[in-house]
Amino acid sequence: MNVSVDRAKCDNHGQCTFSAPTVFRLNEQGILEYDEKVDDSLRADVDEAADVCPMQAIIVTD
Amino acid sequence: MSTEIDVPYLYISDPSFAMHSEAVREARERHWYANTNYGFAVLRHEYVSTLLKDTRLSQGSGKWPDHNGVHSGLFYDWWTKCLLVLEGEDHHRIRRLLNPAFSFRHIEAYVPRFEQLATELVDAIIDRGEFEYVHDFAEPYATRVLCILTGIPESEWPTIARISSSIGLALGVTIKDDLPEIDNALAELYGYAEALIVDRQASPRDDLVTRLVEANRAGDSLSDDELRNALCLLIFGGMDTTRNQLGLGMQTMMQNPDQWELLAQRPELARNAVEEVMRMNPTTTWVTREAMVDFDYEDLHAPAGSTVHFFTQVSGTDPAAYPNPGMDITAERAPHYGFGGGMHHCLGHFVARMDMTIALRTLSQRMTNIRVSGVDEWMPDSGNTGPVYLPLAFDKR
Ligand code: HEM
Ligand code: HEM
Ligand code: SF4
Repeated sequence: MNVSVDRAKCDNHGQCTFSAPTVFRLNEQGILEYDEKVDDSLRADVDEAADVCPMQAIIVTD
Repeated sequence: MSTEIDVPYLYISDPSFAMHSEAVREARERHWYANTNYGFAVLRHEYVSTLLKDTRLSQGSGKWPDHNGVHSGLFYDWWTKCLLVLEGEDHHRIRRLLNPAFSFRHIEAYVPRFEQLATELVDAIIDRGEFEYVHDFAEPYATRVLCILTGIPESEWPTIARISSSIGLALGVTIKDDLPEIDNALAELYGYAEALIVDRQASPRDDLVTRLVEANRAGDSLSDDELRNALCLLIFGGMDTTRNQLGLGMQTMMQNPDQWELLAQRPELARNAVEEVMRMNPTTTWVTREAMVDFDYEDLHAPAGSTVHFFTQVSGTDPAAYPNPGMDITAERAPHYGFGGGMHHCLGHFVARMDMTIALRTLSQRMTNIRVSGVDEWMPDSGNTGPVYLPLAFDKR
């Protein structure tokens, strides 16, 4: 699956890192970093991250 | 060449201290933070946005009871274990289990119920031409929204409101004297929460408490105690905040009657109106953090243990982030911090955004020329604010 984050919307709250910690992380400066190509076995976690993001900034596609 | 920076000073415990004041605007213009009689105050949007999420700062409300001579009891045990004051993995674990039930998708399902409630409350006053906004609308609305969400019968809202304001005494400096009342109220709220949990364990429904009972991640789930603590926190944390924010929303709309008329013509702007109201007039006028280690940022040196306040109204009207800071419900804006930020970002923000959108939309569809019609009464401007008593008159639309 493909993951992308709309940087104009993302406000680096890091809630996504709770749902899918191996895909989303905050760097030393507190800025979101994430993997764009993610194994389908993590689909449920990534969908949850997209669901709970306060800014609704995460887009998941097949 | 080193220049001495003239850091502004604000005395924030003065009952007449006002966020919407020239002194505060002037301080924001002079420097990005101010010294205060109670910690540091971050004033500019850019700095609030960055530092609010800094992991060297903890949420900091956890030590409140101890600071005020309370070291044990039911309230103490609850408060020192609740989500708001937990940090690190302990916080993330609970938050991860709670978050999905509060996602936009699940909260959207409550829209028809919230609409029904707003209509019922407005129907009851629409022919009177005047009403007291807090008691006739904001308080029953905010409380019954929490009842709908948690599955407590709506008819019990006056009891829930009473319990919540008793627990709210814990926020005051008289917490120690009020402790018996606070502990009794919390015991009563535990009763409601425990009954709900037992009921949904036995007979699951398509609702929030069932989703929390069934929340499970990689074999981890909330214990009954954790679930009870969380339910109590969201009832307590969701009611006064929403009631107060609805009051401030009405104040801002009355100050901008052209925007109220625009909203009446274009109800789809209600969501944006809520954002504008929270940006310009947030109930949580500051979000607090505590430095866990010596915290240095540019010229700010906050020793470990010191308090850092993030001023939300001041950063929400910072001309550097909002070139036209006046109310404009059609504008696309940088985010405000009325719901805090980072890992403690308000759990219930989709609920609050949704219910306030429906409230403003419904009121603007039915009322015009709203004005204060008696002596209003307000809480002070520090921490959490809002109207206590707000008599209004209006014309029926
Ligand atoms: C207009 C209404 C509301 C406002 C202004 C508000 C504001 C806030 C703020 C400022 C925080 C602290 C954030 C921080 O320290 O960064 C917070 C946290 C929280 N809020 Fe809200 N809130 C509102 C409504 C609600 C509702 C309706 C609920 C529950 C349904 C709720 C549940 C919570 C919880 C559980 C936390 C703690 C989250 C954590 O520590 O991880 N709030 N809220
Ligand atoms: C029994 C429950 C609570 C107690 C005892 C409590 C206690 C406190 C205390 C002591 C303060 C600091 C006041 C000051 O420093 O002047 C405070 C402020 C605040 N509380 Fe709570 N609180 C409670 C529940 C909540 C909940 C659930 C939320 C989240 C929605 C919340 C959000 C805030 C916010 C946003 C402020 C203002 C900024 C701050 O000083 O942190 N509180 N609270
Ligand atoms: S939860 Fe959303 S806003 Fe927060 S860091 Fe992740 S993508 Fe960005």
